[in-house]
Amino acid sequence: MKGVGLALVAALAALPAAPQQLAKHPRELRFDERQFTPPKAADFQHKLANGAVAFLVEDHEFPLVNVEVIIRTGGYLEPPEKAGLAGLTGSQIRSGGTRNKPPEVFDEEAAFLAASLGSGIDDFNGSANLNCLAKDIDACLALFAEMLREPGFAEQRLRLAKSQILQSLEQRNDRTADIEQREFARLMRGDKHFTVVPTTKATLESITRDDMAAFHKRYYYPANFVFAVSGDFKTKEMLGKLEQAFGNWPSPRIAVPPVPKPQHTPKPGVYAVNKAGVNQGRVRMGHMGVTEANPDHLGLAVMNGILGGDAFTSRITNRVRSDEGLAYSAGSSFPAGVYYESVFVAGFQSKSETVAQAIEIVREEIGRMKTAPVKAEELNTAKAKAIESLPLRFATAGQKASLFANDYYTRRPADYWQKYTERIRTLTPESIQQLAAKYLHPDRLVVLVVGDVDGILKGHPDRPQHSLAKIAGEAGITRIPLPDPLTMVYPAE
Amino acid sequence: MAGRRLGHNREMFLRTVAALFLACAAWAQQVPVEEFVLENGMKFLVVQRKDSPNVAAGWVAKVGSVNERPGVTGISHLFEHMMFKGTHAIGTRNIEEDLKINLELDRVYAAIREEEQDLARRKRLGEIENVKDPKVRTPRHQKLLEEFNRLNARQKELLVTNEFDRIYTSEGAAGMNAGTSQDFTIYYISVPANKLELWYWMEADRLVNPVFREFYSERDVVHEERRLRIDSTPTGKQMEEFNAMFWKSSPYSWPVIGWPSDLEAITREDANAYYNLNYAPNNLTACLVGNVDVAEAKKLAERYFGRLRRGPRDPEPVRTAEEESYTERRMVAYAEAPPQVVVRYHTVADGNRDEYALMVLAELLNDRTGRLYRSLVLEQQVANAAFAGSNGYKYEGYFELRGIAKPGKTPEEVEKALYGELEKLKNELVPDRELQKVKNQLAASNFRRLQADFALMVQLLIADVSRGWQTINTDPPLMQAVTPADIQRVAQRYFKPEGRSVMLLHTKRAAAKPSAGGAQ
Repeated sequence: MKGVGLALVAALAALPAAPQQLAKHPRELRFDERQFTPPKAADFQHKLANGAVAFLVEDHEFPLVNVEVIIRTGGYLEPPEKAGLAGLTGSQIRSGGTRNKPPEVFDEEAAFLAASLGSGIDDFNGSANLNCLAKDIDACLALFAEMLREPGFAEQRLRLAKSQILQSLEQRNDRTADIEQREFARLMRGDKHFTVVPTTKATLESITRDDMAAFHKRYYYPANFVFAVSGDFKTKEMLGKLEQAFGNWPSPRIAVPPVPKPQHTPKPGVYAVNKAGVNQGRVRMGHMGVTEANPDHLGLAVMNGILGGDAFTSRITNRVRSDEGLAYSAGSSFPAGVYYESVFVAGFQSKSETVAQAIEIVREEIGRMKTAPVKAEELNTAKAKAIESLPLRFATAGQKASLFANDYYTRRPADYWQKYTERIRTLTPESIQQLAAKYLHPDRLVVLVVGDVDGILKGHPDRPQHSLAKIAGEAGITRIPLPDPLTMVYPAE
Repeated sequence: MAGRRLGHNREMFLRTVAALFLACAAWAQQVPVEEFVLENGMKFLVVQRKDSPNVAAGWVAKVGSVNERPGVTGISHLFEHMMFKGTHAIGTRNIEEDLKINLELDRVYAAIREEEQDLARRKRLGEIENVKDPKVRTPRHQKLLEEFNRLNARQKELLVTNEFDRIYTSEGAAGMNAGTSQDFTIYYISVPANKLELWYWMEADRLVNPVFREFYSERDVVHEERRLRIDSTPTGKQMEEFNAMFWKSSPYSWPVIGWPSDLEAITREDANAYYNLNYAPNNLTACLVGNVDVAEAKKLAERYFGRLRRGPRDPEPVRTAEEESYTERRMVAYAEAPPQVVVRYHTVADGNRDEYALMVLAELLNDRTGRLYRSLVLEQQVANAAFAGSNGYKYEGYFELRGIAKPGKTPEEVEKALYGELEKLKNELVPDRELQKVKNQLAASNFRRLQADFALMVQLLIADVSRGWQTINTDPPLMQAVTPADIQRVAQRYFKPEGRSVMLLHTKRAAAKPSAGGAQ
């Protein structure tokens, strides 16, 4: 009896639910409220005796420890005639062994411990990381400190790295994506700014082991370090380990110069780079943006979400991709610069025949953002995305530690995330439109097209009304030739 | 067969126990998965992680390009795009009118296809050059195109474009995407834990009541994706050709994104038939990882996905196997890329007993302490970079080696050096310490890849496509059990010139074209 009864219950449970039981549309679903208060960085912040700052977040689910270090240095500190020095120094700290260990020995030790170690220097900072099994933390932390403190810069590895970099320089004009990125940066930042000054064969070859050692010595010491440590450890013990590994490393405390701002005003117009043999054109169009110090920057992020930032819920994606089928990826971004004004940019990739048509649509949408009112539904989506995705930024111990360290390094206000939600919530359709009116300038766009220019100029046989020549108007299209990839000299006409 | 596999597994397990004493037991961690299967055959996997703010949620259809046939290559991937176009309830203001227009569009498109087929015939005969040229169209063709555009415009007026995305985004769901491979099609997203029911509603609705609207403009989007990923990259076309050369008879020979002529011809009827067979619940597995309660997950699964009807039959496994090769195939290519060589050997399908040794073997060759880097890059200085990889698909597998020549060296010299390393593996046993180093790395990377909820969800689904999600727990010990003799045996067995395919790629850069305007 009992068995039968159970079987009946099971059968009932397995019956398909009647359709009327389900909501007809998801808007009828009701969810529990969820409160989210972002964690405070100060609760995880520690100062080591040697002056380094460390953010420690415990997580005991996996027996792993992750250590990241941000170093106050950057590509902006290398002399232009040694372009490539910072990046090379960053990679060779990891690859060139240490004072006491040739690279083969150092690498073998790390590999046997299954430790993953890395090092690099980007435009605005240096970085290093270690990921290892928690049980091996002492040995791995010792290796990591040795790498950061006494890099060997072995000549053989330097020669190899130069050969690899030279090979990558030769490929500079191979990919339209690379050409597009480089030429757009030149148009927006000018030729003099450090973010645009290229590594050439000559600057690369001039870099010596001594240059790297000097660059390392000038910036790598604990007072310039911000640690982000997460994983399977006890905070107090880990602080002791960090003190032990890095503690007796003196800091000279020399002021690191500030990041230089670009001194360039972009010249609006249509620019084209010809690349034979591709059937798809790549387009970027943009103008100057804002800094994070500008209180409008969060509103602009939401405004951009509606315009082209939020993928399939944005206007540019909806029109260029979904309505017209003109591109796989189309959108825009309005980031806020940490050190100087960012660049607002919209872009897409489309077959040569339809490049002009898609440019017209994007330009129209940028203009419409200023003139047509934002719908409540659009704004709600963009605000919800910004607010509801906040917990995801703090989802794991590693994310928390990294975010805290990065905020500290870029000197973000301590209450930034605490005030974030309220700032987004107060945005209205009117305020969004005011921001668009103030910060979007469809008349000042720098439009860069990279692809088969003849094919792009020809346009689509069924849609002769769209033409790149017409978009360029009387000013015409400014052609940018491809430079010699090793000297970066652009052929004169 | 089954008996033999079981015996083999037990043997491997015994060896694993021995290995545990030699090194740390790091790989012993098991992912605690709760599994349940609905009456209709749909499987659910749940991993509860209470600290997560979200639930990483996804499902996989056990179908990919390997299940296609000539004429519809690329349909798995195109279909993946179509799953975001809405349902009866989502994506349109007027479902009756919307469905009517869909039928009209199909009717007109069928007539357009006749015209296109005739143009293709005339092109075959050399009567016309370009089938896209408006001048070669018949008046009927032109009229049909205009009617087609009018219908599309009418449907667009009723559309709520991308409503599917908008609903999720408005509720704070993030990272929605999908992917198609040779063997599977996967759909995933991360939803706030308090809104898990939304995921059930949305995913069940698009499986119960899908509408493949905007079909023909989405085909254009996929074609742009093809241009982006393959046509307009320096080596995309060459790699596609190499893959087509490598497989003699297997459907793995065509690209996941499909051949362009098929992309331009696939119809909505093709998509419907494909959906009915392959998206039946008995061919699906769903997975939830994060702050989710198992009992709640099960209740909702029955309520929402229980409505799906089991397919009349399970999709048949792929019939066409890769026939054995007797010849070496060599391809010479020219591209705007550094000189390089790619070598591929036919090996074994995912989960074959030899695959573990092949994967360990690849790790012996890779990374900065691996044999390829040490020998080809540092000692012989013939290459600037070199990699190896073992790739097991559901039905077949291959092992690939690739080397980028150092300036002044040729792809042929790199090829020779690669074979030198393979010969060493065939002739000498790998030293114990070297093997242990690689095993330590595999054990650690096994942890690393399980950490993120999202990554775990995706890996469980992919594992379930081939041999069951349990392999995520059972494969690592088998990898640890590989011996030096296993490595030597698989090297001798699979690295043979017969059936090998080689691509020698030389640099060919076009001279910079003089430009009409001046530099800026």
